[in-house]
Amino acid sequence: MIDFDPSTFGLAHTYQKEDKDEINTLKMPSAPQVIYRTLNGPTQTNGGNKLNNFKHGTTTLGFVFKEGILLAVDSRASMGSFLSSEQVRKVIEINEYLLGTMAGGAADCQYWLAYLANHCRTYELKNGSKLSVAAASKFLQGILIGYKNSGLSMGCMIAGSDLSGQHLYYIDNDGMRLKGDIFSVGSGSTYAYGVLDNHYRYEMSLNEAVELGIRAIYHATHRDTASGGVVRVYHIHQNGWTKVHDGIDVVDLHYQFAQQKGLVGDGDEAKQRLF
Amino acid sequence: MSGIFEYNGGSIVGMKGKNCIAMACDRRFGQQMSTITTNYQKVFKIQDNILLALSGLNTDIHTFYALMEKEINLYNLKENRKMKPTTFANLVASALYERRFGPFFVTPIVAGLENGKPILATYDSIGCKSDLDDFQVGGTGGNYIYGACEAFFKPDMSPEELEEVIGQSLVSGCDRDALSGWGGVVYVLTEQKLTVKILKTKQT
Repeated sequence: MIDFDPSTFGLAHTYQKEDKDEINTLKMPSAPQVIYRTLNGPTQTNGGNKLNNFKHGTTTLGFVFKEGILLAVDSRASMGSFLSSEQVRKVIEINEYLLGTMAGGAADCQYWLAYLANHCRTYELKNGSKLSVAAASKFLQGILIGYKNSGLSMGCMIAGSDLSGQHLYYIDNDGMRLKGDIFSVGSGSTYAYGVLDNHYRYEMSLNEAVELGIRAIYHATHRDTASGGVVRVYHIHQNGWTKVHDGIDVVDLHYQFAQQKGLVGDGDEAKQRLF
Repeated sequence: MSGIFEYNGGSIVGMKGKNCIAMACDRRFGQQMSTITTNYQKVFKIQDNILLALSGLNTDIHTFYALMEKEINLYNLKENRKMKPTTFANLVASALYERRFGPFFVTPIVAGLENGKPILATYDSIGCKSDLDDFQVGGTGGNYIYGACEAFFKPDMSPEELEEVIGQSLVSGCDRDALSGWGGVVYVLTEQKLTVKILKTKQT
């Protein structure tokens, strides 16, 4: 059994205290040890060039409304200006009532959200009741504070359903944990916020909310080069989560929205000087 | 993404066919990771039988094109005749080398038809001319377009085939480059006419 000694909780340099007599069948791989700590600030991982910070090249968003929580994400992964994939899954299914979104380092997000999933299940078995969203997000925050300044890159949202309702938290690698109603994370978040803030209402129906999430992600993928691919949408309600859309191509959305606006591509092109 | 050639992004490609040439370019104008417009012109008609495609820093694309327009207009007035494509190709190289120690941040491709024979020349930013290949690329998505070109290209294609192949190469290449795309334009030049076609591509 993985057992936590409260005095070492959240510290990166000690991980597990093993009982020599027990067979450890639920052992997670050892968390990486931080070898040194700088007192001066964050590790330089991007040559110091803040304007080109690709660490959070993505667009993810989530908002709370009367029917629960809606999460919408894009699916592009880029290495510099090279598009390595257009089919990434940026919503991580932690368990049947908790979802996490991925922004920043994919490895960091995948590992630590899986670690969180393990912790949630252990808690459930030990205590007979599910871990609340607030506690789950706080647990993750504790881990990330332990690794502060070591170069982890995560900007994730934890969204879930528990006995007190549906809750949305934003957690990042600086150790920030914020509870809120509307969040958008990633390089395309500025574009998504513009659309989201304009049309958000708490009393939206599920269909309106899905439409809003899709539209906001589409606009971000159009303007931001690091976002694109397909839109994936999840809905969290009192019975857990449902995958609403597994992948709507944003290219199709572009021409669909253009059609709705009456921009069919004959007027503008004809007037342009092309040669 | 930190170089001056990657600031605005964009890709161009040129191909030779049987008594015809084709040029294609994307339509994005961006500033690093943000897209500003999707209708920026990167291929210019210098003369009825010469096309100039430019990729690199957009301000230099505009300035270098204006400089070439001026040169060809003055040539027409002084010599009272049209400029041959091979002459123009040389002119581009000289004009780039004139700025050897403060260069234009562009990588041009010149394409033309001289007595029905296709001419295709490409340069680095300080004027090294290379005119022996059947297809050339430029810009941030250049290397990805190369792969598609190698796969689809065959010598002596007809104008219709060439249009298809160059369009496909441009789109496949731009799909892997974050800084190029948002539309494409294909120009096919034959002895009789210049056809311009706008491609429906990913807008993301």
